[in-house]
Amino acid sequence: MFRVHCGKEGAVPLRRQRAKGEERLDGRADAAASSREQFVARAIVAGGAVAAGGLLVAGWPRLGTAAPSAAQDAKILNFALLLEYIEAGFYSDALAKGKLSGELLDFATTVRDHERAHVAFLKGALGNGARRKPKLDFGQTTSDPKSFTAAAISLEETVIAAYNGQAGNLTKPTLAQAAKIVSVEARHAAWIRAIAGKDPAPNATDSPKTASQVQADVNRTGFVRSSR
Amino acid sequence: MSLTLEQLDRDGAILEAVEKVSGDTRAAFLGKAVVGGAALLGALAATGSAEATANHDVAILNYALTLEYLQASFYTEAERLGAIRGRLAPIPPQLGAVERAHVAAIKGALGRAAVKRPAFDFMGVTENNAKFLKTAVAFEDLGTAAYKAQAARIKSPALLAAAISIHSVEARHAAWMRFLAGAVPAANAFDQGKPISEVRSIVASTHFVVARPKRVSRKKPKFTG
Repeated sequence: MFRVHCGKEGAVPLRRQRAKGEERLDGRADAAASSREQFVARAIVAGGAVAAGGLLVAGWPRLGTAAPSAAQDAKILNFALLLEYIEAGFYSDALAKGKLSGELLDFATTVRDHERAHVAFLKGALGNGARRKPKLDFGQTTSDPKSFTAAAISLEETVIAAYNGQAGNLTKPTLAQAAKIVSVEARHAAWIRAIAGKDPAPNATDSPKTASQVQADVNRTGFVRSSR
Repeated sequence: MSLTLEQLDRDGAILEAVEKVSGDTRAAFLGKAVVGGAALLGALAATGSAEATANHDVAILNYALTLEYLQASFYTEAERLGAIRGRLAPIPPQLGAVERAHVAAIKGALGRAAVKRPAFDFMGVTENNAKFLKTAVAFEDLGTAAYKAQAARIKSPALLAAAISIHSVEARHAAWMRFLAGAVPAANAFDQGKPISEVRSIVASTHFVVARPKRVSRKKPKFTG
């Protein structure tokens, strides 16, 4: 029970690196994403609709305002489902582009399968109430290993904070299910950070984010082109 | 709940941990008051003797505390012995600081209801890289599974928020240690929880928790020379 199988010694030495500005969870993945973000940000400031850089995810449910209930669970799970669609889509897109190799390829393949399993689980839990997959556009973030790594870290961190932020808003049975997902997201985050030579667990706790904070993060990425 | 961390962190353990973990100086930390995920630990510690710690939650917190004692003692001993070297050398101080911060926060929440730290005998796993890493993987996977199974049982919203935020950090540690060990950091799409009975029997099977060493006998030793 207590035995763990540890095969070969870890192949890649972990370069420890103090985070400086890497903690932004807003999809500021690389130059391309950054310019995209700036574009989206300008559009927000201007109060106009975003023409090409991504569609703002409007009409997200107000979460966590009421006591836990089945109806609120459904809203939160749909919120989680959107995040899982984005993750699954991101890794699928990166793999389809074929620019990853070695550890990153292993990571992306495994994690894509996990995110797809999460999507399937949430869709099953929501039944007819499940939202449909949005149109997604990952731009250049899936086109090269460096951009991919940065975007993957941002995505995983956002999703951990999103799940942690909803824990207290869920009914207990649903919380028990969500907890099985969030720790896997945390493992993904630590894994990709380790590959990137970043501290996999820089904090003593993972701070939660509210739905609106997560919404802002997602909007800044411009990944969601249409939300149905 | 307007306690500052400094007020509740009387023995300085949280601040010390935060300093190590975040690389922030103590002064900078005090200025900001919220950094490195310590805010939640502060909130946890501040729940002490409030309605939050109803009897039910006290039992769960004490259970979590025993696991945090186990982890903290393991890394602390490894750090003190200084035998974990090379690429693993940064692990005992860093994870030790985090687990000690978890211990301090939970003890703060429990106040006088906190169970005492048991005595540990790690039987050499804290002084050998391979054994240390294997044990770290096991402890962190176990910690993740233990917190997970309790999440839905916690009644107090403040305690739940803190516990769930520790839970995902334990999962990060597990993935990290697995990465270093060359194992898959995230082996499954869903992590399963483990109930208290199973966790207790796993911990018991390690024989790391030992009876407190007896006090030195008051009888005078026989003169044998």
